[in-house]
Amino acid sequence: MGLPHITTVESLHQYLHAALQLEHATIPPYLTALYSIHPGTNLDAVMVIRVVAVEEMLHLTLVANVLNATGGTPDLTGPGFVPSFPAYLPDGEDDFQVDLQSFSPAAVETFLKIERPGAAPEEEARVRAHDGPRSLLAAPGDDSMRFYSIGEFYEEIRRGLEYLHGELGDALFSGDPQRQVTPEYYYSGGGEIIPVTDLASASAAMELIAEQGEGLGGKIYDEEGEIAHYYRFEQLKLGRYYQPGDTAGSPSGPELSVDWDAVYPVKPNVVLDDLSAAPDLHASAARFNEHYADFLGLLTRSYTGEPKLLIDAVVEMFRLRDEMLSLLRHPMPGPGGLNAGPTFEIAGSS
Amino acid sequence: MIFPRGAARRTDHAAASDVVYDAVIVGAGVSGAIIANQLSAAGKRVLMLEAGPGDDITLDGYKSYLERFFASSIKHNQSPYADNPNAPMPKSTDAIKLEPGVVDSSGYLVQEGPFSTDTTYTRVFGGTTMHWEGKTLRMLPEDFETRTRYGQGRDWPLDYEALSGYYAQAELELATSADVEDQAFLGIRFDDGYVYPMKGLPLSYLDRQVDAGIKGTTVELGGKDYELKVRPFPQARNGIPNPDYDGGKGYEPIGAVSTHQVEEGLRCQGNINCVPLCPVQAKYNAGKTLAVAFQTGRVDLLAQTVASKVVIDPATGRVTEIEYKTYADPSSSEHATGTVRGKMFVLAANAIENARLMLASGLASTSGLVGRNLMDHAYLLSWALMPQVCGTGRGSVCTGGIQELRGGSFRRDQASFNVDIHNDGWGWAVGSPYSDLVEFVDERNRFGKELRTELVARLTRQLLLAFMVEVMPTESNRVSVDPAFTDQLGNMRPVISFQVPEYSLNGVAYGRQLARQLFDRLGAEDHTAYDPEDYGYVTHNGEGYVIRGGNHLGGTHIMGTSPTDSVVDADQRSWDHDNLYLAGGGSMPSIGSSNITLTVAALCFKTSEHIVARLRDDARPIEVGG
Repeated sequence: MGLPHITTVESLHQYLHAALQLEHATIPPYLTALYSIHPGTNLDAVMVIRVVAVEEMLHLTLVANVLNATGGTPDLTGPGFVPSFPAYLPDGEDDFQVDLQSFSPAAVETFLKIERPGAAPEEEARVRAHDGPRSLLAAPGDDSMRFYSIGEFYEEIRRGLEYLHGELGDALFSGDPQRQVTPEYYYSGGGEIIPVTDLASASAAMELIAEQGEGLGGKIYDEEGEIAHYYRFEQLKLGRYYQPGDTAGSPSGPELSVDWDAVYPVKPNVVLDDLSAAPDLHASAARFNEHYADFLGLLTRSYTGEPKLLIDAVVEMFRLRDEMLSLLRHPMPGPGGLNAGPTFEIAGSS
Repeated sequence: MIFPRGAARRTDHAAASDVVYDAVIVGAGVSGAIIANQLSAAGKRVLMLEAGPGDDITLDGYKSYLERFFASSIKHNQSPYADNPNAPMPKSTDAIKLEPGVVDSSGYLVQEGPFSTDTTYTRVFGGTTMHWEGKTLRMLPEDFETRTRYGQGRDWPLDYEALSGYYAQAELELATSADVEDQAFLGIRFDDGYVYPMKGLPLSYLDRQVDAGIKGTTVELGGKDYELKVRPFPQARNGIPNPDYDGGKGYEPIGAVSTHQVEEGLRCQGNINCVPLCPVQAKYNAGKTLAVAFQTGRVDLLAQTVASKVVIDPATGRVTEIEYKTYADPSSSEHATGTVRGKMFVLAANAIENARLMLASGLASTSGLVGRNLMDHAYLLSWALMPQVCGTGRGSVCTGGIQELRGGSFRRDQASFNVDIHNDGWGWAVGSPYSDLVEFVDERNRFGKELRTELVARLTRQLLLAFMVEVMPTESNRVSVDPAFTDQLGNMRPVISFQVPEYSLNGVAYGRQLARQLFDRLGAEDHTAYDPEDYGYVTHNGEGYVIRGGNHLGGTHIMGTSPTDSVVDADQRSWDHDNLYLAGGGSMPSIGSSNITLTVAALCFKTSEHIVARLRDDARPIEVGG
């Protein structure tokens, strides 16, 4: 069984579209866990989750830049762009599902799986035949294949970019440079945005995503001294910060305290139907979904020629945050003692 | 502020006592931070003494400041900081009405009067940048020669051109957002092609409403007409990075890249509670500079270490060491003493604390001017209700103002001023929005929806004009010390004698009259009232005003051209003590109508350059003649 290699611009675009979905798909679970934490508590956990969520937003934007640079058109509004939770990741990993849930040991375990170190033990293991349940989102290229990790998925894109550049030369980067999101419009979002115009900048963008996410080859720190997502989350599990010189699994930095009880008990993977007994909550959750869909539309415009709109998007993000907080802090009617939450049921436009 | 890995590593007192540092710096505020950063970048070893706790260098520490501020029922500049009797600091709430001839020692500042000042500075890691507003105005060229031009105040021993390059360095360090076209006026000149690191932050909606309302207003002053407009202020807040910065290299905002697991500073989001502390660290604080300095590994920090005496070799006049008192528990007077040594010494503890330490060390200088010429902006507040909703309450605290009366020949007779439009409404003057709430509930018996509607209608129409009036140096305005007044560690406290000069009050009176004129023009209802029982109440030509302190302290180790007329030279070097530098606002011979931090920062870049050159020269092998 061969690798689903990227050999055409079309397949590159498929992968990059999947990458957009992938980066986005992690944001609702991260934000749900983040905002489920009681205000003023769990500062360490809040920071760890927040930084990761913000870096996923950077990755989303970096992927959009690469897609634009190679002549593609990012679209965050299509049907199925936002997964239904619980969801498999859109890179095809199928040995776990991602839930919308409160901050909890289970949530941290899931985050560790999402961000697990990238390198497969050997070249042949990068992808494997898939015989589990079908991914809710179409995996790019070959639906029968699954990548070992997000890192391997991006490695494939990186190889594809190199291959296509070898075939097409600089014509690969024929996209409109005006569509690039530049540091004027995006910064302090977890790293430096890289405008993509050629192979070097495209590779740099891909490497940044891989390094920040899962670490390359299991390294805890990247060259800039930044700690990879996997190890950030592992600190929550192990109750201690990493510091330079540590080996994986044995952090030796300052202690980190987690209060698992200072959390709103949110119903996992809550859907609108769960809220039908509470019309106000139902309406609020539905309104949030509408606003979230609008927001994805705004991001799509920002990524397709109007980068200035990212400034306006900041205000929208405040609104979304407030709406999420309001939902997560509201108990649902009936027994069970669980709270509502954002459902992220976004139909998408066709 | 978030420190890169390794940064939190501190030396201990025993280890520090074994080292002769290239420089010992007292105070980890903006002045100390810049000098430490510049010296360590040049390969020099630096020791910093900080009187306040140093645990606040973590994000948790910063967050705990925010939490304490949010939880405080009385919110002022110092609300985020726990009381520390071993390194006490003034609070604006300390000031009380003074009785003539009666000294008030109830707050940290011992006040002799006659004016009761509510000025403050912050004695924590990061210094007063941990509560500053973040305006970064250059001084006007004419501010450097008011004696020559207008027969007022003192000339500087250097001019605007000599400082201009250092201003640009300071604008980079403080991460300033502004547009040159808005800031080049009244003689302020920028190098060809210069742009600020980030593009100007937008004027608030309130600013724009005021601008539209006063358009076409011309005032005549000193024989000249001034057309008034609202102009944006340059600010040390992250905005949109300017791709044209540094000849097209662009600018990367500080804190744009997350280090050590958390981000250091976002883009300004318009939080109205950005003073004292920006909730997202979009506003510069000295910790950002210190983070870079600590990364060199050549800067050691001793926190909770209060410099208590500057020790001089009587034969040479040079500083040999600095004595300190260090404490483990802020609430206990228990402490240890010790000394630290260096080739160069820098006092960077602000205008009042520098003078206090010098005087407590018995070093009044040849000129006798240490502690004298204390300056601070005199703020006059005028407030009114706009006829239309203006979105008051949307931050940041101050984005624009009327700057046309900062300079001109009228300065022969009256002080210049800058006018701030306060986006937080009447808060500073009367305690809004809390005072409005109390009034609506207690006096008008409003509740529910009606209360909300009326509150919003009131709050969103509030306009507060703050006239920041220049104060010239006067020798009788001074800091002194008195063994009768000490803090918990036994360090002498600053004793303040201050009177708002007539010259400034002329500016205050004009400002009040201008406020009335502007309110008329805007159709705004004047709500200004000055209570004779207020501690800041002063009278001038039969009219009463309330004056507030500006926290822009200067003059106490004034800069000049000779040891007989000043304390330091143009490099902030003590005339009397060859290896001692007194850095900060205390060196400034005038404060004009600019918030002082940018000028302080510029001076510290100049001083750093000078110290690095001297250390290099000192290290050269001595050639034996033959």
